[in-house]
Amino acid sequence: MTEGTGTVQQGSAAEAGKGIPSRSRELSTWQAMRRSWQAYALLAPIFILLLIFNYYPPVLGLLRAFYRWRPGVEASFVGLQHFGVYFTSPETGRELLNMFKLLAFFFFSGAVVPFIMAVLIFRIRDTESKELYRLFLIIPMLVPLIVVILLWKQIYDPNLGVINGLLEQFGLEFLARNWLGDTATALYAIMFMGFPWVSGVGTLIYLGGLGQISESIFDACEVDGCTGLRRTLQIDLPLVLGQVRLMTILAVIAGVTSFQQILVLTDGGPGFATMVPGLTMFHKAFRTQQFGYAASIGMVLFVITFAATLAVNRTVHPAVEDVRH
Amino acid sequence: MSTTTSTQAAPPTRRPLRYYQIGSHLFIAVMLLLSLIPTYLLITWSFKNGLQYRWERWAISFPLRWRNYVAAWDIVGDYMINTIIVAIFGLMGMLLLSLIGGYVFARMDFPFRETLYYAIIALLMVPWVLSFIPAYMVYVRLGLLNNRLALIIPELAGGPIFGIFLMRAFIAGIPEELFESARCDGAGVFDLIGRITLPLSLPGLATLAVLNFIGVWNSFLWPLVMIQDDEKQMIAVGLYKLARSATTGGVPGWTSQDFSVWGPLYAGYVIASLPLVLLFIVLGKFYVEGLVDSGLKV
Repeated sequence: MTEGTGTVQQGSAAEAGKGIPSRSRELSTWQAMRRSWQAYALLAPIFILLLIFNYYPPVLGLLRAFYRWRPGVEASFVGLQHFGVYFTSPETGRELLNMFKLLAFFFFSGAVVPFIMAVLIFRIRDTESKELYRLFLIIPMLVPLIVVILLWKQIYDPNLGVINGLLEQFGLEFLARNWLGDTATALYAIMFMGFPWVSGVGTLIYLGGLGQISESIFDACEVDGCTGLRRTLQIDLPLVLGQVRLMTILAVIAGVTSFQQILVLTDGGPGFATMVPGLTMFHKAFRTQQFGYAASIGMVLFVITFAATLAVNRTVHPAVEDVRH
Repeated sequence: MSTTTSTQAAPPTRRPLRYYQIGSHLFIAVMLLLSLIPTYLLITWSFKNGLQYRWERWAISFPLRWRNYVAAWDIVGDYMINTIIVAIFGLMGMLLLSLIGGYVFARMDFPFRETLYYAIIALLMVPWVLSFIPAYMVYVRLGLLNNRLALIIPELAGGPIFGIFLMRAFIAGIPEELFESARCDGAGVFDLIGRITLPLSLPGLATLAVLNFIGVWNSFLWPLVMIQDDEKQMIAVGLYKLARSATTGGVPGWTSQDFSVWGPLYAGYVIASLPLVLLFIVLGKFYVEGLVDSGLKV
């Protein structure tokens, strides 16, 4: 998913490999390859599986985006027609707008909120409560995602849902509504799912990053009177930029490609109020059998994800490594 | 607030930040309580009968209605067994291929090693939206529609991509002397993998197993499109379909009258969460480390 962060580890792995004494330099490549038949034989099953199930599909997808394509029928070339249809269809603007709204929100709920939570927990002095908080962060993660989504669907329910129930109890019936069935609120209800967005991998990843910062830095900034918000912005944030970048990229990928929660909560409705391109791709393929068209939407989403990931990687530069211990 | 003097962290010269600390504790506690509400509701609702569900929405109702769990197990049990079968076969294969791949790339020297390695790692950057539709077509073409193999193969083929990445780094950390002395004793490559690498890389394999198990347990869209028979369906899709049919009275043995369908439904959700809870209790260390590290390494 992300580049960059991995290369450090890969480098060390590669160097460890180079430490093995080798005679291959004295031999020609071909001879060396024949000598290493065992290595190739061991890798063969892995590569056979990867070729069929992991290399071939994305390549096929990129090609078939330009074809009319459905199971059992010979694919026929249609050029850029799918892209033309997609970008001129009246719903597309709405879908893309929804997608960017979700993306922006996922950045807030997936990258910003967990950072704040992690900084707060990190600065708790009492180690026992710190551990307790960490445990409580994990508990909601032990519930399968589909259960979380189905629970929230119930929480939003117009008749039996607890949100409307609470509003009624406090005499605010006029605010009660069909949260997921109302064009005005459906998309925001989807965003609100998971409130307050603190539990999960994000906070744990940030906590891990903060834990790596050398104690001497915090001591130094204490001496300089750099505390509170200033410390957060000038010390904590720059030193966990690697984690910030990761969470931002994950938020971007989720914003562009994830539609499972929308499929379950609203299925794109009411009308097209919560439609996103990913869900359109899914509908086109599995409801109207337009697999070529679906593949072209998949390609558009791939390009958007790729460009956005690249942009994030170019803009966010993690701090130098030597401030860590 | 207890006044534990954490030894390394707080030298006595530090300015007392009492109010700040109390405020933080309060804020964190409120946020965590809010995020636990759905889990709390899930568990309390799972023990209610119809009337209690309708009228005692927030409180715990006594006596606890364990019968809900019996009714739920009759339905979700099969989905869970299906998922565990897929997880066992998929994970065993994935772990084996990751171990072998990790060993070959970390410990063997051969032409094009780095090229082949990066050819595998590059697949980590292919987003699933690009492959989802064409992968479906490939599986259909191979006659795997509605076949359990269609659920196991993605794990078996795709799992080792990250697996090899993780295991290579792990196996590279094992001292070379161990392999050297085994080679002197005439050990073949399978001895080196099975007798030396395997026992020493168990923590890495545990992390991989945990991560992939969570993935299998949560997999939704793929089984939704690949599997048509309910008897072969996985847990996430099973719950999705159950939630839809429960409210329309389509579940055999469940009465849909007077809200009495909700108790068993939530009991089913709780049962479906138990394997993840169990996993956390047994392999909690690998669970958290895996989640945190995997994010940083990819």
